[in-house]
Amino acid sequence: MSNPFEHRRPTALEDKAHAEAVRHFAEQLKQFPASREAVERLEKNSAKIALAANLAASKPTLNQNVIQANDGAQWHKDVDLMDNIHLCHRSIIGGAEYAVVEHCPARGANEILNRGWNADEVLKSFTQAQRQALQVWREDMTAQVREFLAEKYPGQDMSRVTYGFMHRFTHAVSQQQIQSHEQNRSRGIRI
Amino acid sequence: MKVTPMEIIPKTEEQPTPPPTERLAYSIQEAADLLGVNYFSVYRLIQRGKLKVCRALRGKLLVPRAELLKLLATE
Repeated sequence: MSNPFEHRRPTALEDKAHAEAVRHFAEQLKQFPASREAVERLEKNSAKIALAANLAASKPTLNQNVIQANDGAQWHKDVDLMDNIHLCHRSIIGGAEYAVVEHCPARGANEILNRGWNADEVLKSFTQAQRQALQVWREDMTAQVREFLAEKYPGQDMSRVTYGFMHRFTHAVSQQQIQSHEQNRSRGIRI
Repeated sequence: MKVTPMEIIPKTEEQPTPPPTERLAYSIQEAADLLGVNYFSVYRLIQRGKLKVCRALRGKLLVPRAELLKLLATE
C-alpha cells in the first residue's frame, strides 16, 4: 500500500483533522503500542519461555505457585506471560501437560486459554490469538477514525487523514520503550 | 362559570418518571470503561468469542448491552 502523503503535502484542513483525531483517540494511541510490544516480546522469547516451562516440568514440583483452573485440575505457574496470564504445567503419567491460564482477580477464577502436550505449541497458539486480537483492534480503529472524521467533516474526503492516523497508530512506540531506549543511550549501549 | 363535576379533572397520584431509555449497544471504549478493563482485554474477549459484537454502518464494532450482561453473568 503506497503512502498517499508521499505525493502531496497535507492541506491545512487535513492537518487540523489529523490533530483532532489524535486528541480524540489519545488513549488508544497510548494503549495499542504497549499491547503490541507485549505480544512481540512473547514471540521473540517464545523458545526461551517454552524451555523454562520444560525445565520446570522436569523438576520435582513444589506446592508453591499452584493454582486451580476452571477444569478442576491444579496447575503449576511457570512463566508470567502478561498481566494475570501465566504459562503453567501439570504432571501427568509419562510427562507433562502445558496450559496458558488467565487469572481473573475479580472472580478469583483461573481460566485455561490454551492447552497441550508441547509448551512451544501452546505458546504459539496463544501468541497467534493475541495477534488476531490486535488485528481486530486495528480494523475497528480504522472504522472508528473514519466515522469520527465523517461526522466532523461531512462531505470531505478524509481518506488521507485516516491513512496517516492509522500509520501513526500501527507504528507508534510505547512510552516504556522510549524510556528504555533513552536509558540504553545514556549508558552508551548501542541498540 | 359553573363547573360541572364532569369538567373537574380528577387528581391523579404522581406517576414515577419512566427510566431513561437504556442504550442497546456500546462502543469498545464504553464497553472497556463499563467492564473496568483495558482496550486490549475487550478485543481479546471478542477474538475468543466470549463477547459477541456487531458492526455499525461504517464497520465500527458495537457491543450489545445484552452481550455485556451475558458475559458478566457467565463470568
